[in-house]
Amino acid sequence: MAGTLTETREDVALDCPWNVIVHDDPVNLMGYVTWVLMKIFGYPENKAAAMMMEVHKQGQSIVWSGEREKAEFYAQQLQSHQLKTSIEKTE
Amino acid sequence: MKVAPTLQGGLRIDVESPVDWMVLRCIPYDARGGDLDLAERVAAPMAGDEGEEDWREFVLPDLRDTFNSQLSTIEDALAEATDEEQSGEVHIAREDAELWYGGLNQARLALEERYDFSNANPLEMTPGMRSAWFRSQFYLHVQSVLLEHVMH
Repeated sequence: MAGTLTETREDVALDCPWNVIVHDDPVNLMGYVTWVLMKIFGYPENKAAAMMMEVHKQGQSIVWSGEREKAEFYAQQLQSHQLKTSIEKTE
Repeated sequence: MKVAPTLQGGLRIDVESPVDWMVLRCIPYDARGGDLDLAERVAAPMAGDEGEEDWREFVLPDLRDTFNSQLSTIEDALAEATDEEQSGEVHIAREDAELWYGGLNQARLALEERYDFSNANPLEMTPGMRSAWFRSQFYLHVQSVLLEHVMH
């Protein structure tokens, strides 16, 4: 009597990372934006200042990328500091 | 009015006249004036995201609570310190600096939304608008001192 062979394959793929984006807002002081990025992400001042300048000059900057849950957490933190923030899935 | 950092790491505002008290009381008044919903404003770039509805339902109420608590902190400090006919002092403890900064930011934001200062010439402003512009500049100055001397 012939048996049935069942083969199971696992296919695990990493979820696409999500970007946290800070948008320009002329009311916020540049020093404050830098301070917030240092406080929330623990970035060194030069990295935070570079991101702040990108926000100022380009209108927005990707300040963090990673899993969605954390991206939402960071977006909420940034918004609570009155920074206009969004999240988007990377392509 | 004088604004200066203290040795304890906070900030002290020396209030010298009834007008000074009035200017300070304008902080929450300006912030609450108008129809600005700051939580909606900072979350506006989320529009179109698949989680936008959840964000509105679960995150925006917390943001509103946060922003209200900033103004309540300022109102409580002023209520405790105010003697409207006398000079006095308002102390901002280091741990309250962020709340004050946020409240001042709300006031400045609300005034900017209402008057659009960035496109106005101070020499051509109406008296009411000029008064609001001076308040906005004062709020900005206090924010700068907080950021430079207390929050860093």
